Amino acid sequence: MTVLELSTVSKRYGQELAVDNISFQVEEGRIVSLLGPSGCGKTTTLRLVAGFEVPDGGDILIRGESVRRKRPYERNLGLVFQDYALFPHMSVEANIAFGLRERGVPPSEFPARIRSVLDLVKLPDYGKRNPHQLSGGQQQRVALARALVTRPSLLLLDEPLSNLDAKLRDSLRVELRQILTSAGITTIIVTHDQSEAMSLADHIIVMNRGRIMQRGSAEEIYGAPANKFVADFIGQTNWFRGRLNGGRFVTEDGLSITIAGKAPGGAVELGIRPERIAVQTKGTTVAVGVNALDGVIDKTEYLGSTIHHWVRLANGRRIHAVVQNNGQCFARDGESIRIEIRPEDCLLLAPDEQDPPEPRDGRQPICTHVLQEGEGGRRKVS
Amino acid sequence: MKRLADNVLGLMVGCLSIATIAFLVAPLLIATVMSFDSREFLGAFPPPSLSLQWYVGFFSDASYLKGLQVSLILALAATALSCLVGVAAAFTLDRYSFPGKETLSAFFLSPLVVPHVIIGFSLLLFFSTIGVFDGWVRLIGGHLIITVPYVIRTTLASLVGIRKSLTEAALILGATERRAFWKVTVPLAKTGIATGAVFAFAYSMDDVSVSLFLTGPDFYTLPVAMTAAMRSAFDLRIAAAAVCLIVLTIALIWFLDRVVGLDKVIGQGVYHK
Amino acid sequence: MKLTRGAALVLGLVVAVYGALMLYPLLRVFEDSFREFIPGRIGSAANAPLTLANYTDLLHASYVSYFWDTFRIGLIASVLGVLLAFPIAHFVARRRSDWLRRATVGFLITLMFLSVLVRVYAIELSFGPAGFAREIARLFGVASASRFYIEFMIVLGLLHYAVPMSALVLIGTIQNVNPRLVEAAQALGSARWKSHLAVTLPLSARGLLSAFLVSFTLSISAFIVPMVLGRGKIMFVSNLIYTRFSELANFPSGSAVAVVMLGISLLVIYAVSRLTSGGWERAVR
Repeated sequence: MTVLELSTVSKRYGQELAVDNISFQVEEGRIVSLLGPSGCGKTTTLRLVAGFEVPDGGDILIRGESVRRKRPYERNLGLVFQDYALFPHMSVEANIAFGLRERGVPPSEFPARIRSVLDLVKLPDYGKRNPHQLSGGQQQRVALARALVTRPSLLLLDEPLSNLDAKLRDSLRVELRQILTSAGITTIIVTHDQSEAMSLADHIIVMNRGRIMQRGSAEEIYGAPANKFVADFIGQTNWFRGRLNGGRFVTEDGLSITIAGKAPGGAVELGIRPERIAVQTKGTTVAVGVNALDGVIDKTEYLGSTIHHWVRLANGRRIHAVVQNNGQCFARDGESIRIEIRPEDCLLLAPDEQDPPEPRDGRQPICTHVLQEGEGGRRKVS
Repeated sequence: MKRLADNVLGLMVGCLSIATIAFLVAPLLIATVMSFDSREFLGAFPPPSLSLQWYVGFFSDASYLKGLQVSLILALAATALSCLVGVAAAFTLDRYSFPGKETLSAFFLSPLVVPHVIIGFSLLLFFSTIGVFDGWVRLIGGHLIITVPYVIRTTLASLVGIRKSLTEAALILGATERRAFWKVTVPLAKTGIATGAVFAFAYSMDDVSVSLFLTGPDFYTLPVAMTAAMRSAFDLRIAAAAVCLIVLTIALIWFLDRVVGLDKVIGQGVYHK
Repeated sequence: MKLTRGAALVLGLVVAVYGALMLYPLLRVFEDSFREFIPGRIGSAANAPLTLANYTDLLHASYVSYFWDTFRIGLIASVLGVLLAFPIAHFVARRRSDWLRRATVGFLITLMFLSVLVRVYAIELSFGPAGFAREIARLFGVASASRFYIEFMIVLGLLHYAVPMSALVLIGTIQNVNPRLVEAAQALGSARWKSHLAVTLPLSARGLLSAFLVSFTLSISAFIVPMVLGRGKIMFVSNLIYTRFSELANFPSGSAVAVVMLGISLLVIYAVSRLTSGGWERAVR
């Protein structure tokens, strides 16, 4: 069933439209991420769902019931704040018990529920400690436990990993996903970090300037971005300006690139992801239909598992290519090489982020492997 | 050469600081020692032998005891009233926004810049013209106005330091605004209120300038009695009284440390590890 | 949140308390200062004629000298207080949380809370005629009953409050100065004392001015310290107000002195707070 629905919700601060007519639904048990740069409206959306702000237009429904008029304490939601917001004057136990007490759970049930939720976050004997005695990662887990113990309809996480250092972030990401799936709780994660969104969430909603740019799985968003903003925000892209001419794209600086598929109407730019560019030695045969451009290596960065090349093409244009380190020889600075680009890897997208009025999903994903329902669970791929 | 200058200057500054502290402490120590002087007159320091005669004299002097009693009751009453008024003002100022809020806050802190003599003088004039002659009302009024700003200041500082996310966390966990206020905001403001209360008590016990105008020949506070004594008979019973006040002050500081923690009163600053 | 009726009521009550205990009395004092003095009454008679005599009287040399003494000695005490407090404050501020830090802070707060009478009495006992007056006076090369020595005692009495008060303000200020900056200056070749002069001092400027302001305001309003330690030879403005009331019951004149004194105090606060450009209530904090 649909746990959360936003219906043409908008919120204005003074002259600024922080959230511009957005609508989306979240099904039970799903983990959804609101992803976007600062100021895109994701945090405002979170606060609207939580009830700390009231929408100017539209409605918010939780389990089919409008909560527009409901205060935060009437919504039965769980929220983990970016700074965790653990009550400093209470122990871990008291922090967790707070929600139970406010929701009228009989005190006799407290010990069992507190214990079970502390076990869930792997902090079984931490009940008597105080928040200032805990590390950042531990505080986050206690905040999570506190939010989950009341068995809310929906869990909201505000930038859950941003306050942790890099190494901790990676290990906690795995654990967090584990906790969320084993609790089976419907979750919305707000973040600006694409790797956080892509690793934690089943479904990503990309936002910018108060609007939804695209929604879909990580694969769909990455492989088939709906517009230039999404292609730039997630991963990296080399861009070419120019015009379409039949089955080819002619760039401003004179390159002619064969493309595939249907291009959207209007002005477009051609984008190509760095890892989709093959770097070959000159003289090898090129497969049919594949674009081949001569160039010279400007700079090579050896980063261990990947190798980054900056290639200067014949017309002076510089391109970023990334190659997996497969133990073979790789091109060095100054070497003459040839880059190859397959037509189907070319992204043709509108240059200014024309926000599609009806948020449309991207093109069909490249992968045509069919997954049975139940295999890999939540993904629906054709 | 630089290192020599550094070391010499460092040494000089260090000595200066120690000398400063010594100059500040020395009179108190001398007074304390002299309060145990066994001689019956005021002789040169140090006393040849010790005795408790001055303490006996102090505690058996009816006027001193009366003054002490009035001072203590007054301090308690003033502190209680200050906390009532001050906490109400501070919480209201913190929670609501309205035009002129800055000016009102400044106005509430303004007694801190008015010389106490002027406050005492003006209150005497005021009370006399409206016909209020009761000593308690006058003194409590005077002490109230000079101590309330301290309570407002410390309570407000404490409230401002409470992160907004804490009250929001309480709300999302199911607490109404009222319950969040009592369960989260008030406990976290306790240190500010306690600090303000200690300040109020200390400054009320200490006050002379205001009290001098509002007391009378048969109704006075301990500091006023001591002042009168200092002008007439400069004997060592005053030393005994002084030592009692020192002990009381140290007790207050110790209490402040236990309840609030002196580090919290001063703060740690942003660069503290 | 916008003001509710209950909240407005609370604020209104507090304003009423302040109005009754401070505003209105001060207004009465202001009004009284313009009335003629009629002996035997507290305050002036209801229909006493208006006059500026109370103010013009103050222009006589003797009165001006009281004001001059007050501000001069107050200035010396506040400046000295801030200078002496700075190294102590720096010592405490840079220390980690340990017993020595807490002991020093506790000591400073104790000095601040200590009744002015205790301090004054202790100083009179130790440095007055019954104590080491002659020895110390000889150090300065003056007689123990000379004006200079009496001023010295008054300054000492004022320092007893100025030093701890300034130190406590400065601890807060210095704690917010990045300690790495002095290290950076030293790494660039500057001696440690020079680094402090170039880095710590300027960055603490606001706190220094604030500490000075608090000490100065309190020093010029000092009452007991000059009264007991001045031994009648040196009087501060507050003593002048008191004698007007106690010896002559001349409220109009006392009121005039009070108005002038309050006016000058507020002017000083305003001027210094413009320097710190932080608003006066932050300067006083």
